[in-house]
Amino acid sequence: MLLAYKAALASPRIRATAIEANEFPVLAAEMDVWAVPRIVVDGAPQWDGSVPERVFVERILSATFG
Amino acid sequence: MALFRPEDEEKVRELFDAVERTVELVVALGPEETPGHGARDIDFGAETVRVVEELAGLSEKVSHRVGEEAPRYPAVYVRPEGEEVGVRYDGLPWGYELSSIVGAVVEAGRRSSSLRPESLEALGRLDRDLAIDVFVTPT
Repeated sequence: MLLAYKAALASPRIRATAIEANEFPVLAAEMDVWAVPRIVVDGAPQWDGSVPERVFVERILSATFG
Repeated sequence: MALFRPEDEEKVRELFDAVERTVELVVALGPEETPGHGARDIDFGAETVRVVEELAGLSEKVSHRVGEEAPRYPAVYVRPEGEEVGVRYDGLPWGYELSSIVGAVVEAGRRSSSLRPESLEALGRLDRDLAIDVFVTPT
C-alpha cells in the first residue's frame, strides 16, 4: 500500500486509495478480491501481493501504456 | 482501549519525529452515522475518528479534523500541508493497516519523495491521470 501512496505523493497525476475489503464487500466482489493486497488500476484488477518498488512502478506504468 | 501498545506508540512517535512539514488527516463520515456490522457492532466512523485523533496526538505536525465528502465512508484523507493530493484510506484503519496510515503520514511529511530517482523519473513520464486502488484487510 505504501508504494501506491508514495507514487501518489510523488506525482500529481496519480491518486492512491486503500480500500478495506471487509467493509466494502460489494466493491471487493466486483474486483474479484481473493487475496490482498489486490492492486487495481483505473478500475481494472492488475495483480495480487506486494512487489519491490521497481516492479511496482513498471507494472502501474504498463497498466497505463499497455 | 489504546490504539497502540506502549512500545509501538514509541516507534510511531519516533517515525513522526522525522516529519518535516505539517500533515492533515481529514475524516469523511458521510451523511449518516455509519452502521455497525455483525455481532461486534462497531461504529466504524467513530472508531476512525478515534484512530486519527490518537495519531494526531503523537506529533505536533500532524493534525486532524472531521468533515469532507468521499466516495465511501468512513474515509481518511492524508494531506501534506492541508493540500489534497489523492491519498485516501477507505474504511477503518486498524490492525496491520494502521501501518499504511502511519507510512502515508511519514511520506506526506517529507519534503522530497523517498522513492528512488529512477522511479520518480519513470512516474514523471506519465501523460495521463491514474487511479490506483489497493484492496487491503487489517489482519
